[in-house]
Amino acid sequence: MEGYSIDIVIFAPLAPILGVLLFWFIQLLFIQSEKYLLEKISHKHEPLCRFTNFLGILFQTICHAMGYTVTKSGISDFFISVDYGKVSPKKERTGLFEWIANVFLFIGPFFIPAFLLLISLIFLKVEGLELVIPSHIIGTEYSFGGQITIFGSSLYNFSEKFYGFLINIDLLHPGHFGFLLLLIFLGMGIRPSYIGEKKHEKVDMLYDLKNIWSLISFKPLYIIILFILAYLFFHLSVLLNQFWYVELFSIFGWLSIISITALIIADAIILLIKITDKIPGKSRFIPYITIPSTYVLTRMFFFYFPSDFTKIASLSIMILSTILITFLILKYKTKKFNTKTGMKPLRGKDDEEKKGKRRISRKRTD
Amino acid sequence: MTKKKKEKEEFLENELIEKSLSPHPLSFMKLQSLCLFLIIWGVVLGWLVNFSEYKTLFSGNEWFILLAWGLVLLLVGVIASLIVIRWTIFFLYLGVFVSAIAFMIWQNWLNKDVAPVFIPFYSVAVSIIGFLIVEIYRRSHQYIITNLRIILMSGFLTKTELSIRYDKITVFGKQGILGQIFNFGTIIPITQSGLGLGTDQTLAAGGLMLGGKKAKLLGIAGGGKEVQTPRTRSSFELHGVHPYREIKNLIEKLVQESVPTAYHQEQVAFQKQQVDLQKQMRDLLKIQTKETNKKSAQDAEMPDEPEDEEEELEEYVEPEQNNVQKQMKELLKKQSELKETEKIEEENEDENVEEKS
Repeated sequence: MEGYSIDIVIFAPLAPILGVLLFWFIQLLFIQSEKYLLEKISHKHEPLCRFTNFLGILFQTICHAMGYTVTKSGISDFFISVDYGKVSPKKERTGLFEWIANVFLFIGPFFIPAFLLLISLIFLKVEGLELVIPSHIIGTEYSFGGQITIFGSSLYNFSEKFYGFLINIDLLHPGHFGFLLLLIFLGMGIRPSYIGEKKHEKVDMLYDLKNIWSLISFKPLYIIILFILAYLFFHLSVLLNQFWYVELFSIFGWLSIISITALIIADAIILLIKITDKIPGKSRFIPYITIPSTYVLTRMFFFYFPSDFTKIASLSIMILSTILITFLILKYKTKKFNTKTGMKPLRGKDDEEKKGKRRISRKRTD
Repeated sequence: MTKKKKEKEEFLENELIEKSLSPHPLSFMKLQSLCLFLIIWGVVLGWLVNFSEYKTLFSGNEWFILLAWGLVLLLVGVIASLIVIRWTIFFLYLGVFVSAIAFMIWQNWLNKDVAPVFIPFYSVAVSIIGFLIVEIYRRSHQYIITNLRIILMSGFLTKTELSIRYDKITVFGKQGILGQIFNFGTIIPITQSGLGLGTDQTLAAGGLMLGGKKAKLLGIAGGGKEVQTPRTRSSFELHGVHPYREIKNLIEKLVQESVPTAYHQEQVAFQKQQVDLQKQMRDLLKIQTKETNKKSAQDAEMPDEPEDEEEELEEYVEPEQNNVQKQMKELLKKQSELKETEKIEEENEDENVEEKS
């Protein structure tokens, strides 16, 4: 550590905060895409939308209740339904306590589902949940660059292990299969707000951001206090030569990565539902039957002809065959890829037009 | 005789079917989850014993696999039984466990390496049978809502049938999370005789033993609490009907139509009073005509008698007649006033509805 410079004193503590904010914005974007897709299929799949609404409201209500518990306000009323959740405190507290309870309400739903998945990953013995300090930054580890590098390296290390686990996931392993189900269900419930026919107001990304901004601007003093606490925590870590500060924010980064992945998978499934809705009759179920059947068949094939890439190959074949079959059904069962007029007559017309042009140009030259 | 014809014969005169319902496929999830657990545990054990890294723990010991499977099954059975306060779950799982042992003994598989394959397949097979039984049980329920009553029919071996009229029933509805998601719910018609009501009982008891080897003192104290709550069997309720809100509103409407409102009750009281007054009037007229007949007969016998008696009769009858007429007038006035207020209230209600919309 090369002494205390202005970089360490002022800028370094901001590095992990900015990193988390970046990932959190990406998460918000994916939440927005999920909401858009859910809204598109809501008229045909009301139960699914109600289910996702329920998950979202459940997490929100739990976070609100946690906020009241942490601030020692107590809980007098806890109500949850598919389209509405309500938590009332025993003691009406104002000031900092109220603010902290609101922070739990607004920020919690983004991270609580991911936290549950992170615990599941620990049970599944997935590695990568450790802080990585690259050797080339030793000496400048408490500077802005050092902090952001540690944060980035930790996230990269976690992503490598996490995605390694995902692409090698064994769907015949009860634990892995359960994790995938949890990932899909929780992915659908990461703050989807309310989607349904009785929509009273537009609840989108801007609405979420507006809420958070009003929370910040409502009591700017508390944000300053929070920053001061963050700075104190950072400098305490520096004094004790520990990486607690960046470690704490790395956890938030991991949670964001898990959330984004869960949202992507949930989006893919909702997209499949949206596409299959266009297929008439019972053929629409073929892609859903393809998913488990191709996986089981490929696993059986690799059972008799073992390979080092059994799991990844089975997963790839499953995904590719589902995409291919969906495409083929769409092509032959619907008019999705058909043009309004046939291509052959158009080609004929094109040729005639070309010939005509040639004749005209010849005449002109004559 | 076709089912429809038979149904038609069972209906009353002027009875119209409003809805014919059966429980939603997911409404018996409590029973289905018992089968679901059996499948999940069977598959997990099959994976643990045959494919997992822990498979060496189970190798070479048939009894160990069987006992592990059975113990978890019974433990879950005990926990589930305690939660829902129904020991049938425990005995059901006990039956499944004992049947597995009996089957293995009968086939002489206990000393062969069969358990790792048999138990998962047996679990899945029993679960499928369980699912089928639950489905048959669900399909055996049929609820018919007519304009006069609710008919609840159930049972696939022993048929039960219950007919509930709309007057004097209270409607209770409940919807779980699954019901809210898939839009189904249970509606319990509670009758005045108490049909549709169950009881929640809480009992607490404590004991104390004091004393040494020779003398002992034993004291036991306890108490209980009982609360009546809307709860009944699926045969006596509209279990898991879809779409819940629509059906509940329909029943509420039919109940409302069958139950006389305050206005109707007042109208009936007025009509009763009117009838009484008319009776009084009729009696007075009878007396009057009798007396006039008598008088005319007497006149015919003695034509020169003075007219004082006629006046007496009129004096005797007229006040009562006037009184009755007065009462009648008042009654009609009251009735018209009541009608007007009813009209105004209805108009106000309509305005409120319009404002709200």
